[in-house]
Amino acid sequence: MSPEDRRVWRFIGAVALCMALSVPLSMALGVQYDYTLTHVALGGALLGALCGMAGTFAVLRGQSLIGDTLSHAALPGVALAFLLFGREPLALLLGAAATGGLGILLVNWLSSTTRLKQDAAMGIVLAAFFAIGVALLSYIQGRADARQAGLDKFIFGQAAAIIARDVVILGAACLLIGALLLAFWKEFKLLTFDPDFARVNGLPTGWLNGLLSTLIVIVCVIGLQLAGVILMVGLLIAPAVAARQWTRRLEQMIVLAMLFGAFSGGSGAVLSALERGLPTGPLMIAVACGLVLVALLFAPQRGVLWQLRQRRRLRGEV
Amino acid sequence: MQGIERLLIELLLKFTTAEQLNAFFGNPRYVALLIGALVAVATALGGVFLVLRKQAMTADAISHSVLFGIVAMFLAMLALGQKPDLSAPLLLAGAAAAGVGTVVLTELIERSKLVKNDAALGLVFPFLFALAVILVTRYIPNVHLDADSVMVGEIGVAWANANSHCLANCALVTITADDPRARIARRCVNCAAEGISPRDPRAIFEEYCSNCGTFSAAEAWQRRLISAPPELVFIPRALMPLSLAALANLLFVLIFYKELKLASFDPDLAAAFGFKPALLSYSLLTLVSLTAVAAFDAVGAILVVAFFVIPAAAAYLLTERLWQMLAIAPALSVAASWLGYEVARLLDISIAAAMVSLLFAFFVLIWLLSPCHGLLSALIRRERQRRLFTEQLLLAHLYNHQRTAEAESESARRTLHEHLNWTSVKTARCLARLRARGLVDFEADRVRLTARGEALVLAFRAELMAR
Repeated sequence: MSPEDRRVWRFIGAVALCMALSVPLSMALGVQYDYTLTHVALGGALLGALCGMAGTFAVLRGQSLIGDTLSHAALPGVALAFLLFGREPLALLLGAAATGGLGILLVNWLSSTTRLKQDAAMGIVLAAFFAIGVALLSYIQGRADARQAGLDKFIFGQAAAIIARDVVILGAACLLIGALLLAFWKEFKLLTFDPDFARVNGLPTGWLNGLLSTLIVIVCVIGLQLAGVILMVGLLIAPAVAARQWTRRLEQMIVLAMLFGAFSGGSGAVLSALERGLPTGPLMIAVACGLVLVALLFAPQRGVLWQLRQRRRLRGEV
Repeated sequence: MQGIERLLIELLLKFTTAEQLNAFFGNPRYVALLIGALVAVATALGGVFLVLRKQAMTADAISHSVLFGIVAMFLAMLALGQKPDLSAPLLLAGAAAAGVGTVVLTELIERSKLVKNDAALGLVFPFLFALAVILVTRYIPNVHLDADSVMVGEIGVAWANANSHCLANCALVTITADDPRARIARRCVNCAAEGISPRDPRAIFEEYCSNCGTFSAAEAWQRRLISAPPELVFIPRALMPLSLAALANLLFVLIFYKELKLASFDPDLAAAFGFKPALLSYSLLTLVSLTAVAAFDAVGAILVVAFFVIPAAAAYLLTERLWQMLAIAPALSVAASWLGYEVARLLDISIAAAMVSLLFAFFVLIWLLSPCHGLLSALIRRERQRRLFTEQLLLAHLYNHQRTAEAESESARRTLHEHLNWTSVKTARCLARLRARGLVDFEADRVRLTARGEALVLAFRAELMAR
């Protein structure tokens, strides 16, 4: 382990300690951790950690906006599942995952068989799937009582409505995805940094790509109900981008991204509890973006301030 | 905005009457179709360049951050004590500024070389959107941030949300006590104070005018003060911003066609010619922001992305020429919005969503069937290539062996497939095709090249050598 690695690990430990200490600190400042807030904060933290894991790979593979496409493409699945099976939470999740996955497949297919670039393919799939979802929703609302459907929360999210069952689901997802990442760590790492070398070495890159995309689909679909369609992409990207500035190693980046994500999720929930009418999801994004800003400015060796100092030192030497 | 509407009405009245205008603008179908067509034209033109410049997702980001601009300006107007109106020019300007701000911020982050372009975009617009949602829920609690109005728009009721313009009999009517129309009544002055009935002899009366004051023409007509009603024309409020957006896009593309073309396909060359591609890019994105804001009311924040990207992408799959793309994309978009409206009325679903769904259906059809870039034509081309290759391979095999010692075994009909390492079915099919075209002949159990077949092989060889 190089001295630089050791330094980053020490930094990660310090960050983890600070974040752990923020709970008693907030208690001292008068935040009441009642039953609801505990669940919302815990759920938000778990969701943030999940997003950190999945987002690390999405950002490094240059697919940051795939989360945006995916969360929009999930809407018709939710509406279809509701039409077919009613308010069954599992069916809604599976429906969302099905059309979200289909959306990603379509993006890949479009950008590989036509001369459209990935951004155009994403724009097309995102807007078209969302429109189909809205059309289905308006059909449902025409048939049944809209309140009863309550599908609107998929668009804006309802982080404040996290209940014990959601926390269990989030925890299970964290364990599952963490285990998958550990099991295929070497493969995913190679696939992320040198896909051609991975293929030449006989790794089943098609399957691994699919698996990685499936992980991102799962995270997005679970997060969708809590953070909403539009904010999901921010929660996926921001912790990973912030973590990227502090380190050059994948394992450090993913741990840091999970910590940043968990902190954004948890503190977003706590902040929204401070005053009535503050929305939870947007506050999570705001905290995460704050972490990004700090990282962009102060990260050693990469950050803006560091670059400025380096430039001045060089000028002095010249 | 009002002044321009007035001018437009006066222009229209040269060709038609006020009744006809009101009948047209009071018809939900006509208004929805007109607004759909305007949205389609305004967005498709800019969309062509967005797709060509690989900025499709920028349109998505802009359409989201526009919300932040609207909310911020709304709050600013509240703070200044003005009555905020969702179609005020200031609000539109703020929204457009937020759209351009997104692009500037993204490029700033990207230029630090710490974050890739797509990640930078994915940071900026969720942040601005989150800020907008926080501001709305914190400071404007009475305005319900309705999912429908943000996502879907209200094209179906655009006709009902109209500005009125008065053409004739518009003068304010002032009635004074000596006017012949003044209605003079009597009232008891001291009844309430002294608690007596008006019939009481002690009651004191005075005369007063019950309808004096200044009235607008419409009020005056309601009170029967004037003999003829004022002539009013109602113009849907969404019409003017959208027409201006469509016009601005059209003019921008017409005037800067050459510059846009060069800057989109070869920005370095454009810069070398002194065209300032950065300035052009910002103007384009400003225009896109303005168009997105104007279309926001009609089709909503997310679906407007579809109007930007899908027709342009479909046109891109149909043609190689920029001007053809610029003609096909709006035409396709207008057709889809018209059909979408009819489908939506038929199924009773969201109009904007039906328009986009049809747009997507058109896109999928073009993707499958496009003569140059379609899936089907690619499939046919590949199959044709494969056939040509097998035929040429077989002909060449026959040619190479035809006058050699092992010609007998190499060109036996039964065992030919073994020499080529093909399946017997494939070989038989290929032979049948070649025989039908008179390139090979069967002679007992042998396959023999005809004179035409031999000539073909030689011609093919010569062509290969020449290459």
